[in-house]
Amino acid sequence: LSLMALRLRLKNSFCHSFDAPVLTSSISEVINLFLGSPDAHVKPQFLDSEVQDILTRITGLNLEKVFRPIKQELKPPKYKLMTDAQLEEATQSAREQAQRLLKMPPVLPERKPINDVLSEDKILEGMDTAKYVFTDITFNIPHRERFIVIREPTGTLRKASWEERDRILQVYFPKEGRRLTAPPVFKEENLKVVFGQDRHEDMLDLCQVQFEPDSSEYIRVHAATYEDLEKMGKYDLLRSTRHFGGLVWYLVNARRVDGLMIDMLQKDLLQDAVSLVGLFNKVHPHSETAQEASSQQAYGLDLLKIYAKRESQRAGYVELALQAYEQTSAESTV
Amino acid sequence: MQKYPCSRVYNALQELGQCSVVHLPSFLLKTYHGGHIVIRLAMAGHKQSNRPFYRIVAAYNKRARDSKYIEQLGSYDPLPNIYNEKLVSFNSDRIKYWMGCGAHPTKPVAKLLGLAGFFPLHPMTVTEAERRRAMAEQAEGAAPEEVVKQQEL
Repeated sequence: LSLMALRLRLKNSFCHSFDAPVLTSSISEVINLFLGSPDAHVKPQFLDSEVQDILTRITGLNLEKVFRPIKQELKPPKYKLMTDAQLEEATQSAREQAQRLLKMPPVLPERKPINDVLSEDKILEGMDTAKYVFTDITFNIPHRERFIVIREPTGTLRKASWEERDRILQVYFPKEGRRLTAPPVFKEENLKVVFGQDRHEDMLDLCQVQFEPDSSEYIRVHAATYEDLEKMGKYDLLRSTRHFGGLVWYLVNARRVDGLMIDMLQKDLLQDAVSLVGLFNKVHPHSETAQEASSQQAYGLDLLKIYAKRESQRAGYVELALQAYEQTSAESTV
Repeated sequence: MQKYPCSRVYNALQELGQCSVVHLPSFLLKTYHGGHIVIRLAMAGHKQSNRPFYRIVAAYNKRARDSKYIEQLGSYDPLPNIYNEKLVSFNSDRIKYWMGCGAHPTKPVAKLLGLAGFFPLHPMTVTEAERRRAMAEQAEGAAPEEVVKQQEL
């Protein structure tokens, strides 16, 4: 894949709106209300407001990286003469624009296959050698509710499966950048080649454009990318992009936060590490870390120490890094 | 005769029958005396190429098959693609509207929509399926006889 096509897709992918149903911002609150007691624990979802806050904070906002040059139409540069105040305003608006660009794509459970048969007409058997695919092209229906039915040569009238639906919707309502058949980059061998070239972000953007967020292909590619990143320890590649939240959520759910923790401590991002442990406690409230933290009402460095003691497999590294951080902070104050 | 808008309005109203809401086709379209609106297949893509492709279209009865129509309601591709599918699309909302205004579907359109489940099954579809099965059985009956004959020879 040429870099230019990928950069164009990067530009275009921000225009995509997700067809997934819009979930309320705090589902666990709603469910808690419904269940009646505030103690009854409901697993926090990706799209809860608290979880999203933590993830946006951890993602960081490196303006240089968000607005790095992408391949666009060649226009002569515009120069503006600004006062300091105007420059600050411009930086502020750039910051807001960057925040909008960093909006996280949703993490949804895998969609269940469609096996609906509308009618079985044995009298029609052998009417034709090919299938008939009927699509309803009424303009105002959301794509998820559109009728796409298939009449088989055996006479059964069934609803189209998810893959068929995606393909047919791309035929009649094409989305920019999406192809009818998935590009061969998404096969396992080719993914490895791309990861070797450190192009995880481009891969994820391409995946965003091509697949729906709850399809099995999307989940598989994302899982493969996150696994590779975690194995190599290259968390910095995704740091100021919109995929970082997804990476953190995946690692927290798989309980393998050690690598990320060490990386943060080595880069002196203490606040991020603390919020990471906080998120971990929220998602796994029955783990030892969470219970000890809640019993001791720990904050800041203490949370990290509890985590290092109880949960992490590489406790030695984490404690070493913590000690190093404490030494450097003591030296800097002294 | 058709110079003044009021006479066109009168003709259009007559043709559309008992339409309670008066949605008239554009005044630029020609009106016909005694013609009605049909939903039919019109060939798209040029006559020279050996590749048929039909549009499901609402048009006046008197017009030529491929000439100006009132509204395109869908498409039909009679040649199967690499997944062995024949793609048919139809705008159910607008078809319901035109049917409500008194348009008649033609036999092929009625068959397609019957196969889709939008209309009840057309009886000729059943008859054609039965005929095909009879032909297939005859061909199977003939083929073993030929094989036997060749073996004897």
